Amino acid sequence: MGRVNEPYDAIVVGSGITGGWAAKELCEHGLRTLVLERGRHVEHGKDYITEWLQPWQFPLRGRGDQELYERDYPIQSKNYAFGEATRHFFVNDREHAYVTPDDKPFRWIRGYQLGGRSLIWGRLCWRWSDLDFAANLRDGHGVDWPIRYHDLAPWYGHVERFIGVSGERLGLAHLPDGQFLPPWEMNCAEGLVRQGIERAFRGRRMTVARVANLPRAHNGRGPCQARNQCARGCSYGGYFSSLSATLPAARQTGKLTVVTDAIVHSVSYDERSNRAVGVRVIDAHTKATREYAGQLIFLCASTLATAQILLNSKTARFPTGLANSSGELGHNLMDHISKAGARGVVPGLLDKYVYGRRPTGTYIPRFRNLGVQG
Amino acid sequence: MTHTANDARDAIDRREALRRAALLLGGALAAPTIAGVLAGCEARRVPDSAWAPRALTPAQAELVATVAEHILPETDTPGARAVGVHRFIDAMLAESYPTEQRQRFLAGLGDVDARAQRTCGRPFLRCGAAEQRALLEQLDREAFGATGGTPDEPDVPFMRTMKELTLLGYYTSEIGATRELHNAPVPGRFEGCVPLAQVGRTWAV
Repeated sequence: MGRVNEPYDAIVVGSGITGGWAAKELCEHGLRTLVLERGRHVEHGKDYITEWLQPWQFPLRGRGDQELYERDYPIQSKNYAFGEATRHFFVNDREHAYVTPDDKPFRWIRGYQLGGRSLIWGRLCWRWSDLDFAANLRDGHGVDWPIRYHDLAPWYGHVERFIGVSGERLGLAHLPDGQFLPPWEMNCAEGLVRQGIERAFRGRRMTVARVANLPRAHNGRGPCQARNQCARGCSYGGYFSSLSATLPAARQTGKLTVVTDAIVHSVSYDERSNRAVGVRVIDAHTKATREYAGQLIFLCASTLATAQILLNSKTARFPTGLANSSGELGHNLMDHISKAGARGVVPGLLDKYVYGRRPTGTYIPRFRNLGVQG
Repeated sequence: MTHTANDARDAIDRREALRRAALLLGGALAAPTIAGVLAGCEARRVPDSAWAPRALTPAQAELVATVAEHILPETDTPGARAVGVHRFIDAMLAESYPTEQRQRFLAGLGDVDARAQRTCGRPFLRCGAAEQRALLEQLDREAFGATGGTPDEPDVPFMRTMKELTLLGYYTSEIGATRELHNAPVPGRFEGCVPLAQVGRTWAV
Protein backbone atom coordinates (compact mmCIF):
# COMPACT_ATOMS: atom_id res chain seq x y z
CA MET A 1 0.00 0.00 0.00
CA GLY A 2 3.05 2.23 0.31
CA ARG A 3 2.07 4.08 3.47
CA VAL A 4 4.80 5.91 5.32
CA ASN A 5 4.45 3.88 8.50
CA GLU A 6 4.05 0.51 6.91
CA PRO A 7 4.71 -2.19 7.46
CA TYR A 8 4.05 -1.71 11.17
CA ASP A 9 6.16 -3.73 13.53
CA ALA A 10 2.92 -4.97 15.04
CA ILE A 11 -0.81 -4.72 14.41
CA VAL A 12 -3.22 -5.17 17.31
CA VAL A 13 -6.84 -5.84 16.43
CA GLY A 14 -9.12 -4.54 19.15
CA SER A 15 -8.66 -1.97 21.92
CA GLY A 16 -10.39 -3.65 24.84
CA ILE A 17 -8.56 -5.03 27.84
CA THR A 18 -6.43 -7.45 25.82
CA GLY A 19 -5.75 -5.13 22.90
CA GLY A 20 -4.81 -2.28 25.21
CA TRP A 21 -2.37 -4.53 27.03
CA ALA A 22 -0.86 -5.84 23.81
CA ALA A 23 -0.41 -2.26 22.58
CA LYS A 24 1.28 -1.17 25.80
CA GLU A 25 3.67 -4.10 25.93
CA LEU A 26 4.59 -3.92 22.26
CA CYS A 27 5.09 -0.15 22.27
CA GLU A 28 7.14 -0.26 25.47
CA HIS A 29 9.38 -2.84 23.81
CA GLY A 30 10.01 -0.41 20.98
CA LEU A 31 7.68 -1.79 18.32
CA ARG A 32 5.76 0.64 16.11
CA THR A 33 2.28 -0.57 16.78
CA LEU A 34 -1.03 -0.03 15.01
CA VAL A 35 -4.22 -0.56 17.01
CA LEU A 36 -7.34 -1.12 14.93
CA GLU A 37 -10.70 -0.57 16.60
CA ARG A 38 -13.99 -1.32 14.84
CA GLY A 39 -15.95 1.20 16.89
CA ARG A 40 -15.89 4.94 17.37
CA HIS A 41 -13.26 7.02 19.09
CA VAL A 42 -13.89 7.67 22.78
CA GLU A 43 -11.76 10.18 24.62
CA HIS A 44 -11.04 9.52 28.28
CA GLY A 45 -13.02 12.00 30.36
CA LYS A 46 -14.48 14.20 27.66
CA ASP A 47 -16.65 11.47 26.16
CA TYR A 48 -17.98 10.15 29.47
CA ILE A 49 -21.11 12.13 28.73
CA THR A 50 -23.23 10.91 31.65
CA GLU A 51 -20.53 10.89 34.30
CA TRP A 52 -21.76 13.94 36.19
CA LEU A 53 -25.52 13.51 35.84
CA GLN A 54 -27.71 13.05 38.90
CA PRO A 55 -30.43 10.38 38.71
CA TRP A 56 -33.21 12.90 38.15
CA GLN A 57 -31.28 14.55 35.31
CA PHE A 58 -31.91 11.62 32.98
CA PRO A 59 -34.87 12.23 30.69
CA LEU A 60 -36.66 9.14 31.92
CA ARG A 61 -35.24 9.24 35.44
CA GLY A 62 -33.25 6.06 34.87
CA ARG A 63 -36.22 4.07 33.69
CA GLY A 64 -35.07 4.32 30.09
CA ASP A 65 -37.20 3.93 27.01
CA GLN A 66 -38.50 0.41 27.43
CA GLU A 67 -39.77 0.13 23.86
CA LEU A 68 -36.36 1.15 22.56
CA TYR A 69 -34.68 -1.44 24.81
CA GLU A 70 -37.01 -4.17 23.55
CA ARG A 71 -36.41 -3.25 19.93
CA ASP A 72 -32.73 -2.32 19.84
CA TYR A 73 -31.15 -3.69 23.03
CA PRO A 74 -32.95 -6.95 23.93
CA ILE A 75 -29.63 -8.64 24.74
CA GLN A 76 -27.45 -5.78 25.96
CA SER A 77 -30.17 -4.54 28.29
CA LYS A 78 -29.81 -7.75 30.32
CA ASN A 79 -26.27 -6.79 31.30
CA TYR A 80 -25.80 -5.56 34.84
CA ALA A 81 -24.20 -2.32 33.68
CA PHE A 82 -26.70 -1.41 30.97
CA GLY A 83 -29.01 1.53 31.50
CA GLU A 84 -29.92 5.04 30.55
CA ALA A 85 -26.53 6.23 31.83
CA THR A 86 -24.45 3.68 29.91
CA ARG A 87 -26.42 2.68 26.80
CA HIS A 88 -23.98 4.48 24.48
CA PHE A 89 -21.24 2.03 25.49
CA PHE A 90 -23.23 -1.00 24.29
CA VAL A 91 -23.94 -2.14 20.73
CA ASN A 92 -27.34 -1.89 19.16
CA ASP A 93 -28.50 -5.52 18.96
CA ARG A 94 -30.73 -4.83 15.99
CA GLU A 95 -27.85 -3.38 13.99
CA HIS A 96 -25.50 -6.18 15.06
CA ALA A 97 -27.74 -9.22 14.93
CA TYR A 98 -26.64 -12.82 15.33
CA VAL A 99 -28.39 -16.16 15.61
CA THR A 100 -27.96 -19.09 17.99
CA PRO A 101 -29.67 -22.49 18.13
CA ASP A 102 -32.94 -22.24 20.04
CA ASP A 103 -31.66 -24.50 22.78
CA LYS A 104 -28.33 -22.68 23.09
CA PRO A 105 -28.99 -19.01 23.66
CA PHE A 106 -25.99 -16.81 24.28
CA ARG A 107 -26.02 -13.27 25.58
CA TRP A 108 -23.22 -11.63 23.68
CA ILE A 109 -22.48 -8.38 25.46
CA ARG A 110 -20.51 -6.01 23.24
CA GLY A 111 -19.07 -2.52 23.38
CA TYR A 112 -17.97 -1.25 19.98
CA GLN A 113 -15.83 1.76 20.86
CA LEU A 114 -12.24 2.61 21.68
CA GLY A 115 -11.62 0.82 24.95
CA GLY A 116 -14.24 -1.79 24.14
CA ARG A 117 -15.77 -3.51 27.12
CA SER A 118 -12.97 -2.34 29.41
CA LEU A 119 -15.23 0.67 30.00
CA ILE A 120 -18.13 -1.43 31.26
CA TRP A 121 -16.52 -4.52 32.76
CA GLY A 122 -17.20 -5.74 36.28
CA ARG A 123 -13.54 -5.18 37.31
CA LEU A 124 -13.17 -8.37 39.39
CA CYS A 125 -9.68 -9.84 39.19
CA TRP A 126 -9.29 -13.42 40.42
CA ARG A 127 -6.25 -15.55 39.77
CA TRP A 128 -6.79 -19.05 38.50
CA SER A 129 -5.04 -21.85 40.36
CA ASP A 130 -3.92 -25.38 39.60
CA LEU A 131 -7.33 -26.50 40.81
CA ASP A 132 -8.63 -24.84 37.63
CA PHE A 133 -5.77 -25.81 35.32
CA ALA A 134 -5.97 -29.47 36.32
CA ALA A 135 -9.73 -29.77 36.73
CA ASN A 136 -10.51 -31.30 33.35
CA LEU A 137 -7.51 -33.62 33.54
CA ARG A 138 -8.64 -34.91 36.92
CA ASP A 139 -12.19 -35.36 35.66
CA GLY A 140 -11.01 -37.00 32.44
CA HIS A 141 -12.32 -34.44 29.97
CA GLY A 142 -10.74 -32.79 26.96
CA VAL A 143 -7.08 -31.97 26.46
CA ASP A 144 -4.80 -31.10 29.34
CA TRP A 145 -3.81 -27.44 29.65
CA PRO A 146 -0.26 -26.93 28.39
CA ILE A 147 0.51 -24.61 31.32
CA ARG A 148 0.12 -24.60 35.06
CA TYR A 149 -0.32 -21.84 37.61
CA HIS A 150 3.39 -21.32 38.19
CA ASP A 151 3.82 -20.50 34.50
CA LEU A 152 1.25 -17.75 34.75
CA ALA A 153 1.84 -16.42 38.27
CA PRO A 154 4.55 -13.87 37.35
CA TRP A 155 2.31 -12.50 34.58
CA TYR A 156 -0.62 -12.12 36.93
CA GLY A 157 1.70 -10.08 39.10
CA HIS A 158 2.91 -8.05 36.14
CA VAL A 159 -0.66 -7.08 35.26
CA GLU A 160 -1.78 -6.50 38.85
CA ARG A 161 1.12 -4.19 39.58
CA PHE A 162 0.20 -1.97 36.66
CA ILE A 163 -3.59 -1.93 36.80
CA GLY A 164 -3.93 -1.84 40.58
CA VAL A 165 -6.04 -4.56 42.18
CA SER A 166 -7.36 -4.11 45.67
CA GLY A 167 -7.83 -7.25 47.64
CA GLU A 168 -7.26 -9.21 50.78
CA ARG A 169 -4.62 -11.91 51.06
CA LEU A 170 -6.25 -15.16 52.15
CA GLY A 171 -3.48 -17.70 51.69
CA LEU A 172 -5.75 -20.11 49.81
CA ALA A 173 -4.00 -22.39 47.32
CA HIS A 174 -7.09 -22.55 45.11
CA LEU A 175 -7.56 -18.73 45.03
CA PRO A 176 -3.97 -17.49 44.93
CA ASP A 177 -3.12 -14.11 46.43
CA GLY A 178 -1.84 -11.39 44.13
CA GLN A 179 0.04 -8.10 44.24
CA PHE A 180 -2.74 -6.32 46.04
CA LEU A 181 -3.49 -2.76 47.00
CA PRO A 182 -5.34 -2.58 50.33
CA PRO A 183 -8.77 -4.22 50.26
CA TRP A 184 -11.99 -2.23 50.32
CA GLU A 185 -13.54 -2.33 53.74
CA MET A 186 -16.49 -4.51 54.59
CA ASN A 187 -19.49 -2.81 56.05
CA CYS A 188 -20.50 -3.57 59.63
CA ALA A 189 -23.05 -6.19 58.63
CA GLU A 190 -20.71 -7.95 56.24
CA GLY A 191 -18.10 -8.07 58.97
CA LEU A 192 -20.58 -9.81 61.27
CA VAL A 193 -21.53 -12.31 58.59
CA ARG A 194 -17.89 -13.04 57.92
CA GLN A 195 -17.20 -13.65 61.59
CA GLY A 196 -20.20 -15.94 61.79
CA ILE A 197 -19.17 -17.97 58.76
CA GLU A 198 -15.57 -18.33 59.88
CA ARG A 199 -16.60 -19.30 63.39
CA ALA A 200 -19.20 -21.84 62.29
CA PHE A 201 -17.42 -23.42 59.32
CA ARG A 202 -13.79 -24.40 59.56
CA GLY A 203 -11.91 -23.40 56.43
CA ARG A 204 -14.63 -21.24 54.94
CA ARG A 205 -13.83 -17.62 54.24
CA MET A 206 -15.64 -14.52 53.18
CA THR A 207 -13.74 -11.63 51.65
CA VAL A 208 -14.34 -8.39 49.86
CA ALA A 209 -14.06 -8.78 46.10
CA ARG A 210 -10.67 -8.37 44.45
CA VAL A 211 -11.35 -5.51 42.12
CA ALA A 212 -9.51 -3.14 39.77
CA ASN A 213 -10.73 -0.03 41.58
CA LEU A 214 -8.00 1.98 43.26
CA PRO A 215 -8.42 2.55 47.00
CA ARG A 216 -5.47 4.95 46.71
CA ALA A 217 -3.70 6.73 43.84
CA HIS A 218 -1.68 4.31 41.75
CA ASN A 219 0.55 4.82 38.69
CA GLY A 220 -0.86 8.30 38.13
CA ARG A 221 -4.48 7.24 38.34
CA GLY A 222 -7.21 7.51 40.92
CA PRO A 223 -8.00 7.17 43.67
CA CYS A 224 -11.46 5.74 43.12
CA GLN A 225 -14.02 8.25 44.40
CA ALA A 226 -16.44 5.60 45.77
CA ARG A 227 -19.26 6.67 43.47
CA ASN A 228 -20.01 3.15 42.23
CA GLN A 229 -21.13 4.21 38.78
CA CYS A 230 -18.00 3.02 36.95
CA ALA A 231 -19.65 2.02 33.67
CA ARG A 232 -20.40 5.65 32.87
CA GLY A 233 -16.63 6.12 32.58
CA CYS A 234 -14.41 7.64 35.27
CA SER A 235 -12.41 10.82 34.69
CA TYR A 236 -10.37 10.04 37.79
CA GLY A 237 -9.16 6.80 36.26
CA GLY A 238 -10.43 5.20 39.44
CA TYR A 239 -10.86 1.86 37.74
CA PHE A 240 -8.76 0.13 35.11
CA SER A 241 -9.72 0.49 31.48
CA SER A 242 -7.78 0.69 28.22
CA LEU A 243 -8.61 4.39 28.12
CA SER A 244 -7.47 5.16 31.64
CA ALA A 245 -4.33 3.04 31.69
CA THR A 246 -2.89 0.91 28.89
CA LEU A 247 -3.52 3.08 25.82
CA PRO A 248 -2.08 6.21 27.51
CA ALA A 249 1.00 4.18 28.47
CA ALA A 250 1.34 2.97 24.89
CA ARG A 251 0.82 6.47 23.52
CA GLN A 252 3.53 7.85 25.78
CA THR A 253 6.15 5.82 23.91
CA GLY A 254 5.47 7.65 20.66
CA LYS A 255 5.18 4.29 18.95
CA LEU A 256 1.40 4.01 18.93
CA THR A 257 -1.01 4.61 16.07
CA VAL A 258 -4.74 4.14 16.70
CA VAL A 259 -7.29 3.87 13.90
CA THR A 260 -10.95 3.68 14.87
CA ASP A 261 -14.01 2.76 12.76
CA ALA A 262 -11.85 0.09 11.13
CA ILE A 263 -13.48 -3.35 11.11
CA VAL A 264 -10.93 -6.08 10.56
CA HIS A 265 -12.30 -8.65 8.13
CA SER A 266 -9.45 -11.15 7.91
CA VAL A 267 -5.74 -11.77 8.21
CA SER A 268 -3.67 -11.58 5.04
CA TYR A 269 -1.52 -14.64 4.49
CA ASP A 270 1.47 -14.78 2.16
CA GLU A 271 1.95 -18.20 0.55
CA ARG A 272 5.57 -17.66 -0.39
CA SER A 273 6.82 -16.63 3.02
CA ASN A 274 4.19 -18.71 4.85
CA ARG A 275 3.53 -15.75 7.11
CA ALA A 276 0.62 -13.63 8.20
CA VAL A 277 1.55 -10.28 6.71
CA GLY A 278 -1.27 -7.93 7.55
CA VAL A 279 -5.01 -7.47 7.92
CA ARG A 280 -7.88 -6.52 5.64
CA VAL A 281 -10.11 -3.78 6.99
CA ILE A 282 -13.60 -2.54 6.16
CA ASP A 283 -14.25 1.12 6.93
CA ALA A 284 -17.25 1.27 9.27
CA HIS A 285 -18.67 4.33 7.51
CA THR A 286 -17.74 4.09 3.83
CA LYS A 287 -17.59 0.27 3.66
CA ALA A 288 -14.41 0.72 1.62
CA THR A 289 -11.80 -1.98 2.10
CA ARG A 290 -8.13 -1.47 2.69
CA GLU A 291 -5.17 -3.39 3.97
CA TYR A 292 -2.55 -2.79 6.64
CA ALA A 293 0.78 -4.57 6.64
CA GLY A 294 2.55 -5.68 9.79
CA GLN A 295 5.24 -8.04 10.98
CA LEU A 296 3.28 -9.28 13.96
CA ILE A 297 -0.49 -9.64 14.15
CA PHE A 298 -2.23 -9.70 17.54
CA LEU A 299 -5.92 -10.62 17.38
CA CYS A 300 -7.50 -9.15 20.52
CA ALA A 301 -10.97 -8.68 19.11
CA SER A 302 -12.76 -10.71 21.84
CA THR A 303 -13.20 -14.46 21.91
CA LEU A 304 -15.95 -14.57 19.32
CA ALA A 305 -14.77 -11.82 16.99
CA THR A 306 -11.22 -13.17 16.95
CA ALA A 307 -12.54 -16.59 15.94
CA GLN A 308 -14.68 -14.87 13.31
CA ILE A 309 -11.66 -13.11 11.82
CA LEU A 310 -9.68 -16.35 11.72
CA LEU A 311 -12.60 -18.22 10.09
CA ASN A 312 -12.79 -15.43 7.52
CA SER A 313 -9.09 -15.84 6.76
CA LYS A 314 -9.47 -18.63 4.21
CA THR A 315 -6.76 -19.37 1.69
CA ALA A 316 -5.74 -22.34 -0.44
CA ARG A 317 -3.34 -23.29 2.32
CA PHE A 318 -5.99 -22.80 5.06
CA PRO A 319 -9.33 -23.63 3.41
CA THR A 320 -11.27 -23.68 6.71
CA GLY A 321 -9.70 -20.54 8.07
CA LEU A 322 -6.43 -19.65 9.70
CA ALA A 323 -5.36 -21.68 12.74
CA ASN A 324 -8.20 -24.13 12.19
CA SER A 325 -6.53 -27.32 10.98
CA SER A 326 -8.21 -29.11 13.89
CA GLY A 327 -11.64 -27.83 12.89
CA GLU A 328 -12.16 -26.78 16.49
CA LEU A 329 -11.90 -23.05 15.92
CA GLY A 330 -15.07 -21.33 17.07
CA HIS A 331 -16.26 -24.36 19.05
CA ASN A 332 -16.37 -25.14 22.77
CA LEU A 333 -17.32 -21.65 23.83
CA MET A 334 -18.09 -21.35 27.52
CA ASP A 335 -19.39 -18.25 29.29
CA HIS A 336 -18.97 -17.46 32.95
CA ILE A 337 -21.82 -17.10 35.36
CA SER A 338 -23.12 -13.68 36.27
CA LYS A 339 -25.24 -12.22 39.03
CA ALA A 340 -25.04 -15.35 41.19
CA GLY A 341 -25.21 -14.71 44.89
CA ALA A 342 -27.24 -14.62 48.05
CA ARG A 343 -28.95 -11.97 50.12
CA GLY A 344 -29.92 -11.58 53.70
CA VAL A 345 -30.91 -9.12 56.38
CA VAL A 346 -28.66 -8.57 59.39
CA PRO A 347 -30.65 -7.22 62.31
CA GLY A 348 -29.29 -4.56 64.62
CA LEU A 349 -26.34 -2.22 63.93
CA LEU A 350 -28.77 0.68 63.69
CA ASP A 351 -26.18 3.16 64.98
CA LYS A 352 -23.69 2.17 62.28
CA TYR A 353 -23.43 3.12 58.64
CA VAL A 354 -21.13 3.36 55.62
CA TYR A 355 -19.40 6.38 54.16
CA GLY A 356 -19.43 6.36 50.36
CA ARG A 357 -20.47 3.75 47.85
CA ARG A 358 -18.08 0.84 47.53
CA PRO A 359 -17.73 -0.18 43.89
CA THR A 360 -17.89 -3.91 44.51
CA GLY A 361 -19.31 -6.66 46.70
CA THR A 362 -18.16 -9.59 48.78
CA TYR A 363 -17.11 -13.09 47.83
CA ILE A 364 -17.10 -16.53 49.44
CA PRO A 365 -14.27 -18.58 47.90
CA ARG A 366 -14.97 -22.13 46.89
CA PHE A 367 -14.90 -24.48 49.87
CA ARG A 368 -15.97 -27.79 48.38
CA ASN A 369 -14.38 -30.25 45.93
CA LEU A 370 -10.94 -28.83 46.47
CA GLY A 371 -9.21 -31.90 45.04
CA VAL A 372 -6.69 -33.62 47.27
CA GLN A 373 -7.59 -31.51 50.25
CA GLY A 374 -11.00 -33.10 50.06
CA MET B 1 -45.22 -0.36 31.65
CA THR B 2 -42.77 -3.17 31.11
CA HIS B 3 -40.83 -4.78 33.90
CA THR B 4 -37.57 -5.16 32.02
CA ALA B 5 -34.53 -4.50 34.13
CA ASN B 6 -33.10 -1.13 33.18
CA ASP B 7 -30.39 1.00 34.68
CA ALA B 8 -28.70 -1.27 37.18
CA ARG B 9 -27.44 1.66 39.22
CA ASP B 10 -30.90 3.12 39.35
CA ALA B 11 -32.39 -0.27 40.19
CA ILE B 12 -29.98 -0.51 43.10
CA ASP B 13 -31.05 2.95 44.26
CA ARG B 14 -34.64 1.89 44.06
CA ARG B 15 -33.96 -1.35 45.88
CA GLU B 16 -32.26 0.65 48.57
CA ALA B 17 -35.28 2.95 48.82
CA LEU B 18 -37.52 -0.08 49.08
CA ARG B 19 -35.36 -1.58 51.78
CA ARG B 20 -35.45 1.63 53.80
CA ALA B 21 -39.19 1.98 53.43
CA ALA B 22 -39.62 -1.60 54.58
CA LEU B 23 -37.47 -0.90 57.63
CA LEU B 24 -39.46 2.22 58.46
CA LEU B 25 -42.68 0.29 58.15
CA GLY B 26 -41.38 -2.55 60.25
CA GLY B 27 -41.61 -5.30 57.67
CA ALA B 28 -41.91 -6.22 54.04
CA LEU B 29 -43.58 -4.25 51.28
CA ALA B 30 -46.42 -5.24 48.98
CA ALA B 31 -45.38 -7.04 45.81
CA PRO B 32 -46.97 -4.56 43.37
CA THR B 33 -45.24 -1.69 45.15
CA ILE B 34 -41.89 -3.38 44.78
CA ALA B 35 -42.53 -4.20 41.13
CA GLY B 36 -43.70 -0.68 40.38
CA VAL B 37 -40.78 1.06 42.01
CA LEU B 38 -38.23 -1.23 40.37
CA ALA B 39 -39.85 -0.61 37.00
CA GLY B 40 -39.50 3.11 37.45
CA CYS B 41 -42.89 4.42 38.51
CA GLU B 42 -42.39 7.95 39.73
CA ALA B 43 -44.01 11.29 40.15
CA ARG B 44 -44.01 12.92 36.73
CA ARG B 45 -42.30 16.28 36.64
CA VAL B 46 -45.06 18.40 35.19
CA PRO B 47 -46.69 21.38 36.87
CA ASP B 48 -49.90 20.68 38.77
CA SER B 49 -51.89 22.69 36.26
CA ALA B 50 -50.78 20.40 33.45
CA TRP B 51 -51.12 17.18 35.42
CA ALA B 52 -54.19 14.97 35.35
CA PRO B 53 -54.49 11.80 37.40
CA ARG B 54 -55.01 8.53 35.57
CA ALA B 55 -56.10 6.08 38.26
CA LEU B 56 -57.59 8.60 40.68
CA THR B 57 -60.30 11.19 40.23
CA PRO B 58 -59.16 14.77 40.87
CA ALA B 59 -60.96 14.64 44.22
CA GLN B 60 -59.27 11.37 45.14
CA ALA B 61 -55.89 12.82 44.09
CA GLU B 62 -56.50 15.77 46.42
CA LEU B 63 -57.41 13.38 49.23
CA VAL B 64 -54.21 11.37 48.62
CA ALA B 65 -52.13 14.57 48.54
CA THR B 66 -53.66 15.71 51.82
CA VAL B 67 -53.15 12.41 53.61
CA ALA B 68 -49.58 12.18 52.27
CA GLU B 69 -48.86 15.68 53.56
CA HIS B 70 -50.02 14.57 57.02
CA ILE B 71 -47.60 11.65 56.85
CA LEU B 72 -44.68 13.76 55.59
CA PRO B 73 -45.59 17.39 56.31
CA GLU B 74 -43.71 20.44 55.19
CA THR B 75 -41.17 21.38 57.85
CA ASP B 76 -37.92 23.14 57.09
CA THR B 77 -38.01 20.97 53.97
CA PRO B 78 -40.85 20.56 51.48
CA GLY B 79 -43.57 18.07 52.31
CA ALA B 80 -45.11 15.22 50.36
CA ARG B 81 -47.47 17.45 48.39
CA ALA B 82 -44.73 19.75 47.13
CA VAL B 83 -42.73 16.74 45.99
CA GLY B 84 -45.69 15.34 44.09
CA VAL B 85 -46.16 12.15 46.06
CA HIS B 86 -49.81 12.04 44.95
CA ARG B 87 -48.65 11.90 41.35
CA PHE B 88 -46.31 9.06 42.18
CA ILE B 89 -49.12 7.17 43.87
CA ASP B 90 -51.42 7.78 40.91
CA ALA B 91 -48.73 6.47 38.54
CA MET B 92 -48.19 3.41 40.71
CA LEU B 93 -51.91 2.69 40.82
CA ALA B 94 -52.26 3.21 37.07
CA GLU B 95 -49.17 1.34 35.90
CA SER B 96 -48.25 -1.17 38.54
CA TYR B 97 -51.05 -2.14 40.88
CA PRO B 98 -53.30 -5.03 39.77
CA THR B 99 -56.97 -4.09 39.44
CA GLU B 100 -57.95 -5.82 42.65
CA GLN B 101 -55.38 -4.02 44.75
CA ARG B 102 -56.08 -0.72 43.02
CA GLN B 103 -59.75 -1.17 43.89
CA ARG B 104 -58.81 -1.93 47.49
CA PHE B 105 -56.81 1.27 47.68
CA LEU B 106 -59.69 3.28 46.22
CA ALA B 107 -62.04 1.61 48.68
CA GLY B 108 -59.65 2.64 51.44
CA LEU B 109 -59.94 6.24 50.30
CA GLY B 110 -63.72 5.86 50.44
CA ASP B 111 -63.42 4.52 53.96
CA VAL B 112 -61.41 7.59 54.99
CA ASP B 113 -64.32 9.79 53.92
CA ALA B 114 -66.88 7.50 55.54
CA ARG B 115 -65.00 7.64 58.84
CA ALA B 116 -64.70 11.41 58.50
CA GLN B 117 -68.49 11.64 58.15
CA ARG B 118 -68.85 9.70 61.38
CA THR B 119 -66.21 11.56 63.39
CA CYS B 120 -66.51 15.14 62.16
CA GLY B 121 -69.69 15.10 60.07
CA ARG B 122 -68.03 16.06 56.78
CA PRO B 123 -65.85 14.52 54.06
CA PHE B 124 -62.21 14.25 55.11
CA LEU B 125 -61.02 17.22 53.09
CA ARG B 126 -63.49 19.50 54.80
CA CYS B 127 -62.57 18.38 58.31
CA GLY B 128 -60.19 20.49 60.35
CA ALA B 129 -56.51 19.61 60.37
CA ALA B 130 -56.65 18.31 63.93
CA GLU B 131 -59.68 16.15 63.11
CA GLN B 132 -57.96 14.81 60.02
CA ARG B 133 -54.90 13.99 62.02
CA ALA B 134 -56.86 12.20 64.75
CA LEU B 135 -58.62 10.10 62.14
CA LEU B 136 -55.36 9.13 60.45
CA GLU B 137 -53.77 8.29 63.79
CA GLN B 138 -56.64 5.94 64.49
CA LEU B 139 -56.19 4.32 61.08
CA ASP B 140 -52.49 4.04 61.77
CA ARG B 141 -53.06 2.31 65.11
CA GLU B 142 -55.36 -0.17 63.43
CA ALA B 143 -52.98 -0.77 60.53
CA PHE B 144 -49.85 -1.23 62.60
CA GLY B 145 -51.44 -2.73 65.68
CA ALA B 146 -51.15 -6.25 67.00
CA THR B 147 -52.97 -7.78 64.05
CA GLY B 148 -49.93 -7.22 61.88
CA GLY B 149 -50.22 -9.30 58.74
CA THR B 150 -48.02 -9.38 55.69
CA PRO B 151 -48.44 -6.73 53.02
CA ASP B 152 -49.58 -9.21 50.40
CA GLU B 153 -52.49 -10.55 52.42
CA PRO B 154 -55.82 -9.55 50.90
CA ASP B 155 -56.87 -7.55 53.96
CA VAL B 156 -53.76 -5.38 54.21
CA PRO B 157 -54.95 -2.15 55.80
CA PHE B 158 -55.23 0.91 53.57
CA MET B 159 -53.05 3.00 55.84
CA ARG B 160 -50.17 0.60 55.48
CA THR B 161 -50.26 0.87 51.68
CA MET B 162 -50.69 4.62 51.88
CA LYS B 163 -47.66 5.05 54.12
CA GLU B 164 -45.60 2.72 52.02
CA LEU B 165 -46.29 4.62 48.82
CA THR B 166 -45.82 8.00 50.47
CA LEU B 167 -42.37 7.16 51.82
CA LEU B 168 -41.22 5.73 48.52
CA GLY B 169 -42.54 8.57 46.40
CA TYR B 170 -40.91 11.10 48.64
CA TYR B 171 -37.44 9.65 48.99
CA THR B 172 -37.03 8.78 45.32
CA SER B 173 -37.78 12.37 44.27
CA GLU B 174 -35.14 15.03 43.73
CA ILE B 175 -36.21 17.05 46.76
CA GLY B 176 -36.45 13.99 48.94
CA ALA B 177 -33.07 12.75 47.80
CA THR B 178 -31.20 16.03 48.03
CA ARG B 179 -32.77 17.74 51.03
CA GLU B 180 -33.83 14.91 53.29
CA LEU B 181 -31.10 12.43 52.49
CA HIS B 182 -27.32 12.57 52.26
CA ASN B 183 -26.68 13.32 48.61
CA ALA B 184 -23.00 13.23 47.67
CA PRO B 185 -22.28 12.50 44.01
CA VAL B 186 -18.55 12.19 44.73
CA PRO B 187 -17.98 10.72 48.20
CA GLY B 188 -14.23 10.55 47.53
CA ARG B 189 -13.60 7.60 49.82
CA PHE B 190 -15.28 4.56 51.33
CA GLU B 191 -15.40 3.64 55.00
CA GLY B 192 -17.21 0.44 55.75
CA CYS B 193 -18.33 0.84 59.32
CA VAL B 194 -18.75 4.33 60.77
CA PRO B 195 -21.06 5.75 63.42
CA LEU B 196 -24.37 6.75 61.87
CA ALA B 197 -23.87 10.23 63.31
CA GLN B 198 -20.85 10.73 61.05
CA VAL B 199 -23.06 10.62 57.96
CA GLY B 200 -26.17 11.84 59.73
CA ARG B 201 -28.65 11.00 57.03
CA THR B 202 -29.33 8.09 54.78
CA TRP B 203 -27.33 8.10 51.53
CA ALA B 204 -29.50 9.21 48.64
CA VAL B 205 -27.94 6.83 46.14
